[in-house]
Formats: sequence, C-alpha cells, structure tokens
Amino acid sequence: MLQFLLPGLGVTVSVTLIALGLGGCIGAMMAVFRVYGNPVVKCLAVSYSVVVRAVPVVVIIFILFFVISAFIDLSPFMSGAIALGFASGAYQTEIFRGAILSVPRGQMTAARGIGMSRAKAIRCIILPQAFRVAIPSLINEVTLVLKDSSLVFVIGVPELMRRAQYASASTMEPLLAFGTAACFYILLTLTLSKLLEAVEKRFAIQF
Amino acid sequence: MKVMTSVLCGILMLGLCLTGAAIAKDTIVVGTSADYPPYEYTDDKGEFVGFDMELIRAIGEKMGKKIKIVDMGFDTLIAGLQNEKIDAVIAAMQASEERKQKVDFSIIYHEIKDAILARADSGIELASVYDMAGYKVAAQTGAIQEKWIQENLIDTGKLPAENYFSYERVDNAAMDVKAGRVDVLLIIADPATALAEKNDLKIALITRETVSAGQSIAVTKGNTELLDAINKAIEALKADGTMQALMDKYKLL
Repeated sequence: MLQFLLPGLGVTVSVTLIALGLGGCIGAMMAVFRVYGNPVVKCLAVSYSVVVRAVPVVVIIFILFFVISAFIDLSPFMSGAIALGFASGAYQTEIFRGAILSVPRGQMTAARGIGMSRAKAIRCIILPQAFRVAIPSLINEVTLVLKDSSLVFVIGVPELMRRAQYASASTMEPLLAFGTAACFYILLTLTLSKLLEAVEKRFAIQF
Repeated sequence: MKVMTSVLCGILMLGLCLTGAAIAKDTIVVGTSADYPPYEYTDDKGEFVGFDMELIRAIGEKMGKKIKIVDMGFDTLIAGLQNEKIDAVIAAMQASEERKQKVDFSIIYHEIKDAILARADSGIELASVYDMAGYKVAAQTGAIQEKWIQENLIDTGKLPAENYFSYERVDNAAMDVKAGRVDVLLIIADPATALAEKNDLKIALITRETVSAGQSIAVTKGNTELLDAINKAIEALKADGTMQALMDKYKLL
C-alpha cells in the first residue's frame, strides 16, 4: 500500500506549498488594495475575491488547464498548483483584510506623523502586525488548501488521492487505500499547523 | 449539479474555440483513467498496466510511434481530446451516441460481455438475464447495465422498482452482494472475475444480451489521419494473434 501512496505525498505537499505561497502573495496584495487602494484597484480586489470564492475550485482548475494553457505552455502540475493558489488567494484576501483592519487606526496616523510615506507605513508598520493577527486563520486555510489539492487529479496530477484510487483499483482494498490516505492527510495537516503555530509563537508581539 | 455542468460545458466550448492546430510529432499522447482493472491500472511501481495499456503500446509499435500515457479523470478525457491536450483515449470507453458527437471513435477493439454475480453459496441459477427479475438486483449508477435494467426489467413491470439498487462503485455493490443486502449484480464481465474472487461470489451467467457496443479508441474529432492509422493497427493486431494473446493474458472474456 505504501509504495502506491508515497510518491503522491511529495506531489500533494508541493502542490499545497506552491498554492499557499502564491495565494499568500495574491491575498496580501489584494487585501492592501481593498483597504488602502484607490477606487479602481479596490473594485478589482473586491470582484476578485467575490468571483473566485463563488466559483468551485474544480472549475478554476479546468479554466486554467484548458483555456489559459492554450496560450502558455503549462504542465498539468503547474496549472493545478497555480489554480489552487489563485483560489486560495481569494480566501486569504479576506483573512488579511480582517487582519489589517484589526490593526488600530492610530498606528497609521502615528506612522504618518513621524514622516513615513503611506506605502512605507503599510509595509513597515501595518503589515508586520497584520501578519501576526492573520496566522490563526491561516492555519485553517492551510488545512483547506491541503484537502483541496486532491482536486488537481482531474487534470492528471497523480497526487495522494489519485494514488489511493490507483491502489484501491489494483488491490481491491478500498478501505485500506483510502484509510491510509486519510492518515497521511491527518499527518500533513498536523505537521503544517504545528509549524505555523511555532511561527505564531516565535513572532508573537510581547506586551 | 446542472448549473455546474453547464458552466463546465461553457468553459470547455470556450477552450475549444481557442485551441490551435495540432503539431505533427512522433509521440502520441494517450489519455486514460487508470483505475479500472483489468483494462487500465497501475502496478506497485506506478507503471500503467492492463489490457488497454499493452494494446495501445502494441498499436504504437505497429504505427512506428512512441506512446506516452497520461492519467486523467475519466470525465476529463473527452474534454482533453477536444482541447488537443491528448491525441487519443483508451479507457475501456464505449462509442455511445452522446460521445460520438464530441469525438471520433476507432473500430471496436474488444467486444464486451456482461456478467451476473451472486453469492457463491446462494444457490442462484440463472438461465437467462430475465431470471434476475425474481431477485434484488444491483448495478452501477449511470452504467449501460443500469439503463438496460431500467428499460427491460423495470419499465416492463418484471422487476419492482424497489428491488433495484444503484451503486456508485462496483466494488461497493459486490460487497453488498457478499453481505446479502442484494442478491445479484449485473456488471461488465471482465472485471467481474477478480471482483468475484475477492468477495466469495460466483458468476451466475455471462451474457451478451445486455450489451449494445464494444470498446473503442477515441481521437479528436476530424483527426482522420490518426484514426485510420489506429484502425489499421487494430486490424493487424487482430490478424496476427497479438490481440488474442493480450486477451488471454488479462483473462478477458
């Protein structure tokens, strides 16, 4: 059973990490746009997070694989990872927006008061505080993306879930195959959330 | 689900408009859904094996082309052909009218039969498929077998509708036959042998009466060049005995 599933583990982890990284970048950027942007970028950020959250992740994967990659040569692996990142970005936009709004307004006023530009105040004062606030919600998002990564098999990326289906088909032991896959998902979720909790502790603001 | 399907169709249509012309190459990319033994599955090293896989490699050899097999979800295969992500599909696929509107099919490379499974100790003896009507019957959701049961047993009043059970996966259906919740299971014959062994079932009847088509290889609509070459290769493999040897190797009926 393990020899069926182990190769999929690496694929699942790398798809998840790429998606989370990409989603984090998009999310942070869009959140700043939403809170501090001019009406045009604000509108862009709002429509991104509303539309993408309304569309099932599978559909985003299909769009990227079948439509976009007609122009750009993307492997199924990259299409899947980017699509997941794009979807996760919308959720992370909301996470970061909430986090940014939780930073007291006085912080911005004070930063501007000592002569920082708006951009610098956002970068050096607001975001570092907001990231810390965002971590607990991000742990939740990490587990969701990890499980959503099982969707990329539809375009032919042999990740953990697809490997479990192979194993179930060839060994005729569905319970063992999917049970083992479930154990791997639990292990991955625990590891990733413990990691983020450690980051949270390490960077906690001391009062 | 309906909304989702129409959204998907729209996207795929859009994708269809945007695809460019296929490039001539010496490798044929073949899509499959590797979760259906004995036709296509993976061994413990992750290699694609099975009757269809060996057949397509033999076809490639006859055509003098390399074969690259990619695994996708079964539902995605037709879309993959339409978008020319893949050149051909071999996935125990039958040339139904619906599919024929979207892709082109080769000649039939494997005639299929259906099997009826029952518990080994049940004492169920069937002389014809219609004898199933006296028992609790199972089949796979959306499968051709289900359609046959609906049209020939339920609609004609031979089988009460509450005695028909529809399962998402055939292995679940087989487990329920073993557990005694249903009496007989109508499925395609080739996977039935392994399923029967695994669950202490017996094959009560093998029939062609419930079958309307055989399995074909699909190619992108209009790719007649590839289709002709594949058809020729299938004919040649049938003539030189390779096809029979493969059928024997994978115990196809």
